[in-house]
Amino acid sequence: MIYVYDMKKRSMQEPTFLILTALAAGPQHGYGIITDAERISGGVTRLQTGTLYMALDRLSSARLVEPDREEIADGRLRRYYRLTDEGATLLGAETERRHASAAVAAQRLRARLAGGTA
Amino acid sequence: MSAGGTGQAAGQGGDMPARDPAGTAALERRYLRLLRCYPPSHRAFHREEMLGVLLATARPGQRTPGLGQTVNLAACGLAIRVRRIPGWLAAEAGQDALAVVSLIAPAVVFILLALGWAVNAAAGARVLPRVPVWTPLLPVPVLLFSGESVVVMIAWLAVVVLGLTGRQRTAAKIAFISLTLALLALLLVLVVLIQQVHSFYFNTFPGELFQFLPFGDVPVVLASLAACSLALSPGPRRGLAIVGWRRACLMIAGLSAGFGFPAIVQLVNPAAPIWDLAFRLLGVLAIAVAVAVTCVRGPVGRRVAGLVAAGLLPGLAVAIPLRDVPAVFPVPVLVSLLAAVLVWPVAIISWRGRAERRRRLAERDLDFTVVYAEVYAEFQAFCARRRLPASSTRQLERAWDAWQAGRFRRGEISQWPFYGDNPFRPR
Repeated sequence: MIYVYDMKKRSMQEPTFLILTALAAGPQHGYGIITDAERISGGVTRLQTGTLYMALDRLSSARLVEPDREEIADGRLRRYYRLTDEGATLLGAETERRHASAAVAAQRLRARLAGGTA
Repeated sequence: MSAGGTGQAAGQGGDMPARDPAGTAALERRYLRLLRCYPPSHRAFHREEMLGVLLATARPGQRTPGLGQTVNLAACGLAIRVRRIPGWLAAEAGQDALAVVSLIAPAVVFILLALGWAVNAAAGARVLPRVPVWTPLLPVPVLLFSGESVVVMIAWLAVVVLGLTGRQRTAAKIAFISLTLALLALLLVLVVLIQQVHSFYFNTFPGELFQFLPFGDVPVVLASLAACSLALSPGPRRGLAIVGWRRACLMIAGLSAGFGFPAIVQLVNPAAPIWDLAFRLLGVLAIAVAVAVTCVRGPVGRRVAGLVAAGLLPGLAVAIPLRDVPAVFPVPVLVSLLAAVLVWPVAIISWRGRAERRRRLAERDLDFTVVYAEVYAEFQAFCARRRLPASSTRQLERAWDAWQAGRFRRGEISQWPFYGDNPFRPR
């Protein structure tokens, strides 16, 4: 669990955050994660296939996500992934951290607009 | 979100645009070729689903992967390979490869030092033609030209002999001292070269001092490999037992010829343009050929080749074009320093992996009759039926995975076993 420990200390990378957020809704396969992550980021971030599977490989090793089930669609293997409890905990911590940072930023911007100093 | 995400995903197959079958087949072939950038174990598990996603995200009528997609796949495949290097070295074959490197690298370093000394001695003979060079007593003018090389050469000969006679720790200590001095010398060289490049001098820095210290012209990347493999591997005797005398000599000769290519050419023809870019790239090619011909055979050989190929990096650095820089020396020197230093953390991580494996093999077996009482009988019957060894924790971990894989195939469990809970796997 070195990775989890490490991730708790550092801020999470954007692709990781998007993947975990996409899987928080329920099990999804690769293509589903890509489209959902794009939607979550408001069309700003489109995950490349290589990036997605590198992240999934890393997250699986850290037991933050795990394969859920497999099915064959159009003659192709489709593997669904789900968020583990550890992954959900980490995502919750990261969400709180981002929320706190955003709150500070919003507060300072309000102060700036009001003519104060940040 | 759950229903939306899954529902959208489930409908993905139907959203795929109608494609030209020949075009899709060509695209699939090209993607499969790109997926070779990934390690075999990753391909075995993810190839089919990655291919499905790649084809699903392709544009209608697309026949070749886009540039961005190509770069992304290649970079991610390489990144995963790099990330797995410590595990790759911690495995049995990796440890065997380190043992072979601990046998051949010190010998190659010694031969390269001897070649360097011979070149210096020949240069000395040309400058002072009346002094006999090849006498047993090594006359003073020759020593002036190559004295420190002789000291370092003797040190590395001692490393080779001590390693072969089983005094691995002493050999590692001598190699490490020599390496540290060589790295220090290289650092000073780097500072002096940067000063020259930028026409900038420190008033208090004694730049000429390093020329008189016994550092020698040690090939630092190979020396670093030699020192860390001696310190963190089963040792040269184990390496010799793996490859045998004949293949060890072949590897040493081939690598010495490859890495010592410039020195050999200089000995034959002192006027050879060894500082030309084309010549140096030829030297890199010689190393690559030597590594490929002498090392790559079997899983241990491939790992040896992978390790020794780190010595190519400084040579490749000469190809980096630097405009407005009068000398490109600092780049290879810097790359040499970095490569020599980076070898260590990788070796240390692999050593920790090896230590962990040994600890797990030696630890007391879990009493799984108590831990997993409800499935004990079934698991035990499986091990007996398949004749699986199941006495150590490591063996039990594998047996459990095999049992769960069978249950997964039969649809008795929904979780892929290698990612699922295994009571014998350390968390």
